[in-house]
Amino acid sequence: MKHILLLTLSIILGASVLNAQTYKTREGYLTFNPNKDQSHKDYAAASKEATAVLKVETAEVALLVPMKTFHFNNALLEEHFNENYLHTDKIPNASYKGKLIGFTKDMLAKDGTYNISSEGQITLHGVTNSFKSPVKLEVKNKVATFYCDFPIQADKFNIDIPAVVKPKLADQTPISATIKFQLNQ
Amino acid sequence: MKKITLFIIACLLLGQFKAMAQDDLLGDLEKEDNAKPKQNITTGTFKSTRVINMQSVEITGKGNLQFMISHHFGNIWENGKGWSNLAEFAGLNGGVANTLLSLDYSPTTWGNVGLALTGKAQYELWGKLKLLRQQTGEHNIPVTLDWFSTMHIDCSEGASPEDFVWNRMSYLHQLLIARKFSDKLSLQLTPSYVHYNYTPYYGPKTAGGKDANNVFSVGIGGRYKFTSKKALTFEYSRQLNGYKNLLSTETGGLVNYNPDLISLGYDWDTGGHIFQFYVSSTTAASNITQLSRNTSDFKQGNFSLGFTINRSFGVKKVVKTAP
Repeated sequence: MKHILLLTLSIILGASVLNAQTYKTREGYLTFNPNKDQSHKDYAAASKEATAVLKVETAEVALLVPMKTFHFNNALLEEHFNENYLHTDKIPNASYKGKLIGFTKDMLAKDGTYNISSEGQITLHGVTNSFKSPVKLEVKNKVATFYCDFPIQADKFNIDIPAVVKPKLADQTPISATIKFQLNQ
Repeated sequence: MKKITLFIIACLLLGQFKAMAQDDLLGDLEKEDNAKPKQNITTGTFKSTRVINMQSVEITGKGNLQFMISHHFGNIWENGKGWSNLAEFAGLNGGVANTLLSLDYSPTTWGNVGLALTGKAQYELWGKLKLLRQQTGEHNIPVTLDWFSTMHIDCSEGASPEDFVWNRMSYLHQLLIARKFSDKLSLQLTPSYVHYNYTPYYGPKTAGGKDANNVFSVGIGGRYKFTSKKALTFEYSRQLNGYKNLLSTETGGLVNYNPDLISLGYDWDTGGHIFQFYVSSTTAASNITQLSRNTSDFKQGNFSLGFTINRSFGVKKVVKTAP
């Protein structure tokens, strides 16, 4: 009887510890430049306030970014982004939910650079699409940094871009995400 | 003993359920985001920094330089001119036009400074401060409140009797109170005070002419957006202290200005520029002239066409490491 109790206890405790192995940041950095000519930065925007979590055991990741935290070089474009394109009053957040492919717990244990990928679901402007992209993981001095560059196609997310503006914009908007987790081991 | 053990197990199990409930990582983030106190600051009360002629509560975005061209043509129709009204093509071909060219810059989200050439060798220097911003959330503020001050210098030829630089200056101070009622409708109330250091005429009440130096008026303005890029605007301003029947110091004759300013406009946001087209009961380009020395009488049908083009440039880069 006592043995069974101890066994149960240890399983429960063990599970709790495993569950607790998540990393979180509130300072995820996302940036994009929709300009056709990428050397022009006048349309570029960035947010430093994405929240992200990584669950080490299951390699699950999630990211949430309030759209109003994106700030543009040109204030007028920021207004357009919020009012005309992304309707951020009604749809305040964009999110990602997925898994890291090829990620193991050991990668966080020692410094190095790893090429992995991520697969999941991205929700933007209220539309959910499947997502797959290579991810670079850099572990250095107890900081794990995930880099991910991926394109977004506006019409796949019901983002209506007027014909006048379209020629100035890239067909696929390159987005770049930098997510840093402070490791506590 | 057994009870205690059971209790511990129950607690741990509950704990684990809690941990399992948190398995939905994204749901967790969303919950956390919803729990955060939200402050919704109203943006885009008006499309442009001007309703039509009058200033709006908007200022150019932080770190942005705005260039504005505003053009006021001659009267569309003038009584007594007959067929030449047609030849003047609704004032477009009339030979009278006033252009405003201005540059303004916002070093902060709440402050804006600018410089303008307002036609006929007149210059203006202004500052606009956002004192309150309409917002909901933890703090509720129902209106946006701005303070606007302009200094105007007349550099045109021709000496006034006492031609000091000081005598060529006039000022406009305005309080801009606006509320965005919905996505579409915004209204603004604008009390104004114009002060001239020197006027070449005096009021009928005091021969000294003190009362002719100050003009008070109150204006209303509004915007109704019918698509995300297009809007109708209107404004009306009325002088309160009846700036009329003034006596000229030179000739002793009567000088009359019109107390009303009424305009109807159309805003068109093309994505990079904001165009404003309007019909207005003034041909002047400066706010001070429009509010105090307006020579167009709307009761006589003296309206003129005009347009404004705005373009802003991101001077200070917010995004430093673009992809």
